[in-house]
Amino acid sequence: MTVPLSTVDPAVAPAPPATGPRGPGATGGRRRRVLLRIGALLVLYVLWEIAARTTRNPAFIPSPAAVWHQLIVTSTTHDGIRGYSGHLLIEHLGVSLRRILVGSVIGVAGGLVLGLLMGTVTVLRIVVEPVVTFVRALPPLAYFSLFIIWFGIDETPKLWLLSIAALPPVAVATAAAVLSAPAGLIEAARALGASRWATVRDVVLPSALPEIGTGVRLAVGVAYSSVVAAETINGVPGIGGMIRDAQRYSQTDVVVLGLFAIGLSGLLIDALLRTAENRLIPWRGRS
Amino acid sequence: MSSAIELAGVQHSYGDVTAVGPVDLVVPPGEFLVLVGASGCGKSTLLRLIAGFEQPTRGTIRTAGEPPVPGRGAGLVFQQPRLFPWRTVGGNVALALKYAGLPTDRVGELLESVGLHDVAHRRTWQISGGQQQRVAIARALAVDNPLLLLDEPFAALDALTRERLQEDLREVSARTGRTCVFVTHSVEEAVFLGSRVVVLTARPGRVALDLPVNLPRTGVSPSRLRALPEFAALRATVRSAFEELPV
Repeated sequence: MTVPLSTVDPAVAPAPPATGPRGPGATGGRRRRVLLRIGALLVLYVLWEIAARTTRNPAFIPSPAAVWHQLIVTSTTHDGIRGYSGHLLIEHLGVSLRRILVGSVIGVAGGLVLGLLMGTVTVLRIVVEPVVTFVRALPPLAYFSLFIIWFGIDETPKLWLLSIAALPPVAVATAAAVLSAPAGLIEAARALGASRWATVRDVVLPSALPEIGTGVRLAVGVAYSSVVAAETINGVPGIGGMIRDAQRYSQTDVVVLGLFAIGLSGLLIDALLRTAENRLIPWRGRS
Repeated sequence: MSSAIELAGVQHSYGDVTAVGPVDLVVPPGEFLVLVGASGCGKSTLLRLIAGFEQPTRGTIRTAGEPPVPGRGAGLVFQQPRLFPWRTVGGNVALALKYAGLPTDRVGELLESVGLHDVAHRRTWQISGGQQQRVAIARALAVDNPLLLLDEPFAALDALTRERLQEDLREVSARTGRTCVFVTHSVEEAVFLGSRVVVLTARPGRVALDLPVNLPRTGVSPSRLRALPEFAALRATVRSAFEELPV
C-alpha cells in the first residue's frame, strides 16, 4: 500500500543525532580526569616508597625499584635462568589469560543458556535459582579441591573452576534481564504478529543484552580473581603459579609484580569489553 | 458484508472493579470510529479487547466474524511509539513485513508514505517524537490488515505535530478505506478524525453518545473543515455530552 502523505513539517524535523557530549567542555573534563588519575598514581607511588623505606623489610613491603627489577628479571634470561621458574613473565601471563579466556567463554555460554531458561521457564527458575545462588556464594578454592580429586592436577580442574566461577554472574544477569524485558515492547511485537520464539529472539534477547553485557564483564572479573586460586596447584606456567611459588620463597617483590600483571591486564580486558559493549549495544539506556 | 467489529454486551473487570461495559457496538467496514471519554473511563481497555490483548469478562467480540487474536488482522499504534531501539528505523518497519512473510524491500516506500525521507538507516532515538510516531504508524500499516487500532497515538506530541499527524491519518484512512478505531480524550480530535464518535461514560465506560459525523472526508482542506459550522456544531454536541456525564 502506498499512501503519499503531506511533507514533514518543521515541528517533526529530525532531532540532532544523539551522540556523546563533545566540545571544549568535554575535552577539558577528560584532561582533568586524566590529570587526576596521574596525580592519584603519583601519590600512591610516593606512599608506597615511603612505606617501603620506613619498614625497611623487603619481605614485608618491597620497594617499587625492587618490583621493577623483578619485572626486568622475569622478562629476560639472566645467568642461564629464563624468567621465573623457567618461563618469562609474558608466558606466565599468556597461559593465565588463555585459562581465563577459555573458562570465561565456557562460563558465559553456560550462564547465558541457563539464564535464558531461568528467565523463560518458571519451573526451571524455581529449581535452579537456589543452586546458582549456592554456587555463587562458594569461594572458588572450596570446590577446587573437589575438582582436583575428580580431574587430577592438569588443565581440566583449572578450567572447571574458572567456568563455574564465571557462570553465576551471567546466569543471574540474563535471567533478571529476561524477566524485566519491557512489557510494552513485547506487546508491540505481538501486535505485529510475532510468534513466542520470535518475541524472545527479536525483543527479549536484544532488550536483555545491556544487562547481559554487564554480567559478562562481572563474570570475566570473577574469573580473573579466581585464576590465582585455580593455579595454586601445578600452576606453573601461570601468573597464579608464579605468585604461589614466590610466596613459598618469600619473594614479595615477585608476588607484587604478579599482582600488578593480573590487575593491569584485567583493567585492559575490562576496557576492551566496555568498548565492545558500547559498539555492540549502542541502545543501552535508550528507550 | 459482515461488520468489521462487533461487540455484544462486552464487559471487562479487573478483580472487583468493572473497567468497561456493558457495551454493544457494530462497526461497519471502512468506518473511522473514535472512542472519546475522560481519563480512566475504559476506552483503552475497550481497544485492547478489540485487539485481543484482553478477554472480556462478559459478552463477545468479533473482528471480521472471528474472536480477535493479537497480531492477526489488525495494526496497532500505541500512545508511545514503542519502537525497538536495537533496530534502525527501517529495521522496525521491516520486522512487521517479516512477521507477515512479506518481502522487506517495501520499507522505504512505507516510510515515504508517512512523510519520512532518508531516515531508514537512522537509530530510533536519533529522530524526533513526531517522526517516531510516524514510524509506528508505518509499521502498523506495513501489512494490509483490514483494521487499524490507535490508542491515543498523538497524546504525547506537541500541538503542531499533533495537528499535522491528525491530517495525515485522516488522509490515510480516506485513501485506504481501512476500518479505524481511534481512542482519544480530545473532543476536537474526535470530531476532526471520526466518521463516527462514541462518547463513553465515566468508569465503567458505557456508550453515552453514538454520533455519526457526516463531514466531507476528501476534497476539503483541514483548516476549512475545522472552520465549517457543521464541525463546530458536532464539537458542541460531543462537548455537551461530555459535560452532562457525572464526574
